[in-house]
Amino acid sequence: MRRMICLLLALLPAILTGCQSARRIETASVIENVSVQRRGGALCYTFYLLSDSEKPDSVTVCAPSFEQARTLAERSYIPHMTLAKLELLLIEEEVRQDVMKGDIDYIATQASFSPQAHIALCDEKTLLRLQREAAAQSLIERQIDLLREEHPQVKSDCLSVFNSYARGESFEVPLITCDRELRVSLVRNAP
Amino acid sequence: MKQEVPFSSKRFLLTLTLCACAVILLQNHDLSRALSFPLALGAVAAGLIVCFLLFLPAVWLKKRWDSDVLTLVQSRGRAAQGMVAVIYSAYFLYVAAYFLLPYTDMFCKKYYTETNPCPVAFLLLACCVYAASKGANVITRFGIFLFVLAMVTNFMMFGGSLSSLDMHNGSLGWQGNPADFGNHVIYFVTPCFIAALFACLSGDATRFRVHQIVTALGLTGVKYALVLFFLTFAAGEYAARQAYETFVLSRVAHFGDYAGVESLYMALATMSVFMIISLLLCGVTKAWHCGGNLWVLALLTGLVFALQLWAVSNDAIRELFTRPLLLIALTLITAAVIPLLVGWGERRRHA
Repeated sequence: MRRMICLLLALLPAILTGCQSARRIETASVIENVSVQRRGGALCYTFYLLSDSEKPDSVTVCAPSFEQARTLAERSYIPHMTLAKLELLLIEEEVRQDVMKGDIDYIATQASFSPQAHIALCDEKTLLRLQREAAAQSLIERQIDLLREEHPQVKSDCLSVFNSYARGESFEVPLITCDRELRVSLVRNAP
Repeated sequence: MKQEVPFSSKRFLLTLTLCACAVILLQNHDLSRALSFPLALGAVAAGLIVCFLLFLPAVWLKKRWDSDVLTLVQSRGRAAQGMVAVIYSAYFLYVAAYFLLPYTDMFCKKYYTETNPCPVAFLLLACCVYAASKGANVITRFGIFLFVLAMVTNFMMFGGSLSSLDMHNGSLGWQGNPADFGNHVIYFVTPCFIAALFACLSGDATRFRVHQIVTALGLTGVKYALVLFFLTFAAGEYAARQAYETFVLSRVAHFGDYAGVESLYMALATMSVFMIISLLLCGVTKAWHCGGNLWVLALLTGLVFALQLWAVSNDAIRELFTRPLLLIALTLITAAVIPLLVGWGERRRHA
């Protein structure tokens, strides 16, 4: 009898793996990067999916905030979207005042988001390059890391940006610009 | 009835330390905002001093008669024995549900958001039944393994959070109001449930010294202080935005390309809750003198599971299992009042 119970308990983990609703990695919609910019007067969020193709797979949704863009994207375009692996949030410089504080505040309430996700401002050309080239994201992240080594005071992740906003202080964030090459500089953000 | 194998007191206190540390692993208490860091440390110290005081009656029994409250009460007649067994069983089942509830809640909120907490609780309790059937000696041996895992997890969690340290996130002054300080002290008295475990299971522990308790509470204090420090200065207000603040620390940990040690954190929390419930079940079976009986253990665990189901479906009941003050009041009865009464009775009998 005891052996039977032990055998049943040993078999349970094999049955209850939690994989019933799992998706294969190649069919999962893992979001690596999100950018926000203004297009024709409306705020548009672009969700870049993890893929191995040279041109990135992306979905653009127009919504007034990250939260609503996420809901809309999940409902209409990417039903099994996961943002747990989000590595970079790029905000076009001219929409910074409209979205940055609210979006970071929303991200801070979400258990699934990484507090270490990079945050940076950028220009329009950078966003165009990001839409054309899959390698652009890792280049941007490398530039941010280099900037952080040179200027440790820079706030380049969700955690430090949120805490700076919470303290009500001005802080410096990375600004990515693209002429021929990607460049990174510092820009001061007022509270 | 299976005879309990004696075990080393050092190992037992190490196990109790890990149980006490689990309180802060499972917390969803607001720790980072209400008080400045030095005052929060003061609250930790005050809380652990109260815990130490609650240990004293059981220490007296152990030192004077080398026994525990459940063993000593056996000579006081069947009625007294039955009453003490009922009180301790009710208390241990309450504490088991008290820790199971935040654990399943954290598991479902932080890890698998679409999971039903009941299967998680059921599987954990099934493992606890098996561990409790093997006795406290085996569980304390498991404590050594868990201690190693706790060291690795804490090293990674705090080491990885060093790069996020920002002293502007918190204050080194003495800001805070007395009400917040009082709330913090009450919260940090919560680990006193280990005093009740000690009062019931210490009879089989060998080579006991009082300094082992001081060391156990000291280690718990160091762990609490480190969590508070990193919560305040590394996670800051970000942690305060989320339920289960301490869990955020495992996500803030960062080593180059490698970020987050949530799996290790969750494993540590799971094993700590497993150890707490297993020890509590050992206490209940000792109270009824049926150590190792799988059917009795299954029945007791069924009661814990029923409490868990009740608390999940009823918010008023859930409230009962989230109030540290109630836990402390019940611990005061089981860790101090009953051992003192039993001790005085024993002294009069021998006088």
